[in-house]
Amino acid sequence: MKKIMKYRHAVLAASISTVLLVGCNANATKESTSAVVKAAPAAATTMSMGPAKLEPLGPPPIPADNLQSPGKIALGKVLFFDPRIGGDASTGCSTCHEPDQGWAWAEDFSRGYPGTVHWRNSQSIINSAYYPRLFWAGSASSLEKQARSAARGGVAGNGEADLMEARVALIPEYRKQFKEVFGTEWPLIKDVWRAIASYERTLIQLDTPIDNYLKGDKSALSEEQIRGKVIFEGKAGCIQCHNGPLATDLKFYNVGVPASPRWQDDGLAQITFRFEQYAKGMTQEGYRKAKDDWGYYYRSKNSWDKGKFRTPTLRYVVYTPPYLHNGMLDTLEEVVDFYNRGGRMEDGSTTSFPQNKSDLIKPLNLSDQEKEDLVAFIEAFSGEEILVAKPELPDYAPLFTKAELEAAQEAK
Amino acid sequence: MGVRVKTGRTLLAIALGLSMAVGAAHAGSYPDIGPLPQIKINKAKAELGKRLFFDKRVSGDAAISCATCHNPKEGWSQNQALSDGYPGNGHFRNSPTLINAAHKKSWNHDGRIGTNLNDQTREMITETYIMNMDMRIMQERFKQDPLYVKMFKDAGYGEPSNGSVRKAIPEFLKTLTSRGAPFDTGKMSGAAKRGMKLFKGKAGCISCHNGPLLSDGKPHNTGVPENFDVFLDPNNHQAFIAFTMFQGIPNYMNLKRDPGFYNITLDMADMGKFMTPSLRELKYSAPYMHNGTINTLAGVVDFYNRGGGKDSRKSDQLKPLNLSNKQKGDLVAFLESLSGDRLTSSEHVWNKSYPDEYPAIQNWQHARN
Ligand code: HEC
Ligand code: HEC
Ligand code: HEC
Ligand code: HEC
Repeated sequence: MKKIMKYRHAVLAASISTVLLVGCNANATKESTSAVVKAAPAAATTMSMGPAKLEPLGPPPIPADNLQSPGKIALGKVLFFDPRIGGDASTGCSTCHEPDQGWAWAEDFSRGYPGTVHWRNSQSIINSAYYPRLFWAGSASSLEKQARSAARGGVAGNGEADLMEARVALIPEYRKQFKEVFGTEWPLIKDVWRAIASYERTLIQLDTPIDNYLKGDKSALSEEQIRGKVIFEGKAGCIQCHNGPLATDLKFYNVGVPASPRWQDDGLAQITFRFEQYAKGMTQEGYRKAKDDWGYYYRSKNSWDKGKFRTPTLRYVVYTPPYLHNGMLDTLEEVVDFYNRGGRMEDGSTTSFPQNKSDLIKPLNLSDQEKEDLVAFIEAFSGEEILVAKPELPDYAPLFTKAELEAAQEAK
Repeated sequence: MGVRVKTGRTLLAIALGLSMAVGAAHAGSYPDIGPLPQIKINKAKAELGKRLFFDKRVSGDAAISCATCHNPKEGWSQNQALSDGYPGNGHFRNSPTLINAAHKKSWNHDGRIGTNLNDQTREMITETYIMNMDMRIMQERFKQDPLYVKMFKDAGYGEPSNGSVRKAIPEFLKTLTSRGAPFDTGKMSGAAKRGMKLFKGKAGCISCHNGPLLSDGKPHNTGVPENFDVFLDPNNHQAFIAFTMFQGIPNYMNLKRDPGFYNITLDMADMGKFMTPSLRELKYSAPYMHNGTINTLAGVVDFYNRGGGKDSRKSDQLKPLNLSNKQKGDLVAFLESLSGDRLTSSEHVWNKSYPDEYPAIQNWQHARN
């Protein structure tokens, strides 16, 4: 199922519609009790009180134990693009986070390690620096830890620390740079994760139309986008979850996404599905019965968390189709239709765990015009496409000369 | 990775225990060389093990099988000094023949697995630089292959599981037992018979190569020179570094030799010792020694005739032998008489193709996983 789709700009018909602003407070929902999240400093300040609102994005939080430096960022960039950071030297970070696929992978399920397919949609790296919890179900608590588990996961990088560390040590250019940046005689794998995380913290976007608008440039949004904003914050109620500078409350909800159809008819996907139940520590009975991604449940083990996923940012989404944790929707129009039906697909299907579906998700009764305006507004969270030239990868070189080996042989 | 339990030093204690028992035979009287005992085989399990052995889906990226490095056509080994590795890396040792592996008590050139072939099989499947397989994925792959589902069931294992993969492959390895070697059938040439006399006598080989396998199952330092390609090719060197790092070898980044049995004991007295290999079925498994540095059996005999290689810790059982060219030829003829059938027919080789895709499980929504 190859679906390399790029976002199609909707044709917007101009018409005026009036919407009522509904009061909304993200903290007054049952979901807030189940969300064990500490917001990133940048987000926290604006999320504290009052009705949730959108905010311009500031610089990302930088952890005190991994400060940014130009050398570290440059090193992290090369490592991000180096497939030797992975099992069979074919699958590095950029393999599934392709800059020209929105720094993600443009199929419903991400491509997997060779011989496998992933079971979730690949997430964009852009703005990942702001999340206090990474992954769709928030299973990693820092970019550093996230990089480590991505490089090692059986259907992701499938690499092992010892071999990856040895590889880096046999690349003279890396040895030099690790010494400069981290001061170690030999590169350490944990510093590989730190350098990659530093690079990721530079992959942000602060000058989108919405940022410019919120900072006072009222011409930054088009007419329809401004109408869309009103709907977003009012009638459609998106703001209840997509708020703050990152357009996410960083909490976990079940918004009604059904099980991926891939699991019904794709053998490779069925393999990964069962593997993930094991890998996520399900009980024997859970493993036998699971027929959908249980999302946040894998972490909390509370039945009410089944099918909950982290509210994703709306930033940069123009470049990151398909959408949702299982990539089931191809366009932003389809996402808006999904919400308009009260969290249902076109065929009426919804989450496998309807008891957990958020009360905030209800049929919206949006007119075609309102839907178009809303889509136009979502587009305002994306600026220019961020593309980079892939760095040249440094080569391996033998660590010892033949003469050194001969001398060691003589000394035996 | 939870399943990737690696087998290290503890198992070796057992290996050592076993070899101590053999070592009780005092100088001059060694366990006789002779035919190997028969091993009982469960046919359904061995047949399953055969299909697994040749199946690339046993490796992480589904690109290599056990037979990639233990190729029936190359004496169930690889006719190159250093074994292939998992894609993306090389290896630092020679791939040994698997004929008679089931008769051994400890495995690998340094003997680091001393329990059973089940553990050795796991080592091969899960080791990063060998097959790099997360066995949980492997198990789910085989549950998705209808023929495996049937074969595991017929073999009495129930549904496919990684535990039964580790049982079925060893059952298959048991079928790889020497067959038709002139040494066993009594059809040795005159030269081979003269060579056997030298082997037990003047050449002194019997002091280490004894018993039905022609191996005392113990480590010795024979002074085999290093294979520099281990270090000069970074693909091999990275596997070597990962290995020595895992074994806990001090200063592994600066190591310029394969420490051998020292890996297990971390006792300098064991530096450069390797397990005495079986001398059966070597005709087709060249090159020789743990690192493939000797190309022919004649070359090996020359090596011993010189008194082995250069190493301050070399076994004092090795002395220059002063063999004539004729005697060397006889010794080689004896070594060759220890090789029999190549075991390359469909009795031992899975010749049927494997499916390109995994069929979907029908009615998935209602099927128990
Ligand atoms: C085989 C494909 C694949 C590879 C290789 C891969 N990723 Fe990912 N990445 C994904 C998928 C799929 C997800 C979502 C997974 C989930 O939620 O379970 C993801 C999620 C992430 C996220 C989380 C973003 C967010 O919004 O929370 C980050 C950051 C990330 N990857 C970075 C990396 C880095 C760094 C590497 C290399 C060390 C890497 N990835 C390698 C597929 C991949
Ligand atoms: C109850 C909280 C909540 C509300 C209200 C909400 N969302 Fe979401 N949104 C989420 C969550 C959670 C997801 C991820 C769901 C999943 O993948 O299962 C999501 C996903 C999305 C995505 C896909 C992003 C991606 O990268 O795949 C878009 C676009 C989106 N929402 C837009 C909207 C719009 C427009 C509205 C208003 C009509 C809205 N959301 C209302 C919580 C919410
Ligand atoms: C990438 C190459 C490679 C693959 C694939 C591989 N092996 Fe090996 N095998 C080796 C090498 C090299 C050794 C010696 C390792 C050492 O001494 O450290 C070895 C050793 C062994 C031994 C010990 C032999 C002895 O006499 O001590 C057995 C048994 C074995 N392998 C079985 C298997 C099985 C079964 C598989 C498939 C599950 C397999 N191997 C896959 C390369 C490989
Ligand atoms: C001190 C014990 C000892 C003695 C004596 C000895 N060997 Fe060995 N032999 C070994 C060891 C240990 C190895 C493995 C060395 C290595 O791999 O580096 C070996 C390896 C070999 C091999 C290579 C097998 C293979 O699979 O690569 C052959 C052939 C061999 N020996 C034949 C002989 C012959 C013939 C003699 C007598 C001339 C002899 N050996 C004497 C211990 C001994």
